Amino acid sequence: MAKLVKGVFLGILNVVFIWTALFLYSSEAYLVLVLLLLGAALVNFVFISERAYPYRYLLPAAFFMILLVVYPIVYTVYVSVTNYGTGNILTKEQVITQLQERRILDAEAGNYTYQAYRDGEGQLWFVFTGPQGELLLGHAGELTPVQEGDARLARLAEFTELARADLVRATNEISALSFALDEARQLQMRNINYFGVYRPQYQYSRERDELLDLESGIIYQPVLGYFQAPDGTRLTPGFREIIGFHNFSKLLTNPQVTGPFIRVFIWTVQWALLSVATTFSVGLFLAILLNDPHLRLRRFYRSVLILPYAVPAFISALIWRGLFHTELGVINRVLQATIGSGVPWLQDPVWAKVALVILNLWLGFPYMMIVCLGALQSIDVEMYEAALVDGASSWQQFRHITLPLLMVSVGPLLISSFSFNFNNFSVIYLLTRGRPPIVGAQTPAGHTDILISYTYRLAFESGRGVDYGLASAVTLVIFLITGAITFFNFRFTGALEEVRKNV
Amino acid sequence: MKKVAALCLVFVLALALSLPAAASVPGELLIWSDGERAPVLTAVARKFVAEYGISVKIQELPFGDIRDNLAIVAPTGEGPDIIVGAHDWLGQLVTDGLIEPIDIEDPSLFVQSALDAFTWGGQYYGIPYAIESIGLFYNKDLVGEDGIGSFEELEELTKNELAPKGIYGLVLPQPDPYHTFPFFSVLGGYVFGFDEEGALNALDVGLANAGAVEGFEYFEKLLDEGVIARATPYDTMMSLFQNGQAATMMTGPWAFGDVRAAGVNYGFTQIPSYKGQFGKPFLGAQGFMVSAFSENKMLANIFLNEFVATKDTMLAIYEGDPRPTAFLPAAEIINEDPDMRGVMEAAEKATPMPQIPAMNSVWTAWSDAIELVINQQAAPKAAIENAVETIIQTIRDSM
Repeated sequence: MAKLVKGVFLGILNVVFIWTALFLYSSEAYLVLVLLLLGAALVNFVFISERAYPYRYLLPAAFFMILLVVYPIVYTVYVSVTNYGTGNILTKEQVITQLQERRILDAEAGNYTYQAYRDGEGQLWFVFTGPQGELLLGHAGELTPVQEGDARLARLAEFTELARADLVRATNEISALSFALDEARQLQMRNINYFGVYRPQYQYSRERDELLDLESGIIYQPVLGYFQAPDGTRLTPGFREIIGFHNFSKLLTNPQVTGPFIRVFIWTVQWALLSVATTFSVGLFLAILLNDPHLRLRRFYRSVLILPYAVPAFISALIWRGLFHTELGVINRVLQATIGSGVPWLQDPVWAKVALVILNLWLGFPYMMIVCLGALQSIDVEMYEAALVDGASSWQQFRHITLPLLMVSVGPLLISSFSFNFNNFSVIYLLTRGRPPIVGAQTPAGHTDILISYTYRLAFESGRGVDYGLASAVTLVIFLITGAITFFNFRFTGALEEVRKNV
Repeated sequence: MKKVAALCLVFVLALALSLPAAASVPGELLIWSDGERAPVLTAVARKFVAEYGISVKIQELPFGDIRDNLAIVAPTGEGPDIIVGAHDWLGQLVTDGLIEPIDIEDPSLFVQSALDAFTWGGQYYGIPYAIESIGLFYNKDLVGEDGIGSFEELEELTKNELAPKGIYGLVLPQPDPYHTFPFFSVLGGYVFGFDEEGALNALDVGLANAGAVEGFEYFEKLLDEGVIARATPYDTMMSLFQNGQAATMMTGPWAFGDVRAAGVNYGFTQIPSYKGQFGKPFLGAQGFMVSAFSENKMLANIFLNEFVATKDTMLAIYEGDPRPTAFLPAAEIINEDPDMRGVMEAAEKATPMPQIPAMNSVWTAWSDAIELVINQQAAPKAAIENAVETIIQTIRDSM
């Protein structure tokens, strides 16, 4: 039975592999194809060989770890040293192709009407009529001036003349053609009715890696992802290129970025600390209440208290946004009715921060409560009995038994919660969008922007459009900061484990 | 033997599953359309097949996803030939090198402002099918059949009749530069000026010139006088108008559904004048564009010029999703619908929203300035001057 299941499973997996491989082969993604085949071979080996048994479980984990964690990090590092963003998304080859295809219509030369014929071998022949009524016979890229009644024209009668529908079907073929009118100009399809006279605009020289403007003679050279003229004029589109540590140096030297950085950083740390402290203390408090065996309807309370966690955060955030509205929100109406004045929740920098902490408390306390409930169950009741015998007060019990023992299991979660809130983009963005704005500020950062929401602004509201390169650079900096903080935090919990030994 | 049979089965299955992925293939058109336009295009595609035997595939995507997906997919050669899109994508798509100029056979068939919106560097990059702009919804029960002609009139009316009943004169989404722009433009403010060649100049930001500041100060005055309800986000604004707590509302044709659903006795017209001048709202145009990575550029042009830029198709597009058409031969249909006539009137006064990518760095700083004024934390002049400085700095940094 188990073998059958394994066989079917492996079969299905192989179908998926083969299908993907064929798809990759047809789209010429050979590098990915090779990686896929290697992966497929590995999977088959692991499942067929008995010795590789443990890897059956490790392999999927490793696979998803690489796919969802390692690959994005590597890719972010890569993007941070490129100029990827609006105006620089194509490869250099694609840009050269596009620029070389640019042509200038010689409007004064007028339009050429045409008739097309196909000979017995499927070759195309054209008769062009110029604006002055001159006739040109076109075939295989060459034009021959002809007169009415020329024998060469008479020959065309033996070929099949293309009707309009045939022309439409053959547009891809016809539009690829080009007939040399003179040294510089070509006759090319303008639309289904006419040919026009065109000159190419640029010529690329592969040896010198530069682009010549045939019109003005200006030479464009590749600089930081653009073909650039000596006077600094850039041609669009630009291309995607590795530009080294340019993005990082921009981060360090641009006053628009560095100016608010410290202020944003301080608020980010405050925000993460406040979030963890408030959610944990409320969660713990409720958990202790719910853990009391004398409490009636415990299950009911527990279910109700978990509700905020069950409602999707963005719905709660939008509801809270309405509740906090200064003039029309329920909170201010209640305040107005009771104490006679409202609070400028989302307009005042301090109150906006308070509003954020309240919202995050609402969203976060159920999680802490669940975690604490579980941890409280695991504390040995005998310890409390012993403490009672020793005459400890309930505060002392909490302080010396409950909290230290709780910290052992909950501590690492608090750290991860800290890191999570450090980058808690959605709550900030949904409630305040980083606002209120700072009076007189020269940067787009607002009072409640944390590092990650600030990054978002830098990346998506830059003057050139979207700047993925810069955003990746900032992301890496944030990653380093969060990483360092988490590292120190874990050292700190290491100290907590010592406490356990002493209990 | 069994193993071989099983392996064969696996291969057959795999082959059956390896259907071709949708991509621009020579001799076959692929269109990325939003849901509203897809049925119309499907019908047009059928005609194209019947006429020329060339198949046209329609792939449906949410409107807002089309631009970003094109940037990801087109350079890999997997993209479409034609996309449906908004004119303000133009700057990004052109500087990215993702779309191709279009040869419009008869430009005189289109509303001029719609063509302007799809023009970049002197070339057309799209065939427009619809235009829209914000205008003024008014509650006929509160301001009368004919609506409001000028802001001065609205001020009077609010002071004398509406305010005593606890009704606001006007609501609009706040802080929202898009909806507040008419106050800036009414006395001569603009977002970007033009250079000698007629292209938008990203370093000439006219949001803090004398006219713009005066208009912005008037906006503040209306807030302070209680004519405009303060700090209303879009949904709050909507519910105030729906409940009859606001006499007029400045927003666009997308709000018709909500307003009708609430049973308000409404009208729609252009934005009122101030000091005898009409504030220009932003014009938005939607149209069809051709991918730079299309394998069938000429064919796409034929399809658009011969089959889409026709009265029948444009009428069908209008019927599928009524927005003022950008195609003049189809324009008379608008007269049948007073709402659409109002939108058309408003759109005629509008100025195309700048399509250059630098626009991205305008919104936030501008919105912040408006928010500071709404929050009474800064004077209009200081706030907008500071915002313009920030905008120019941001744009200069990224050049």
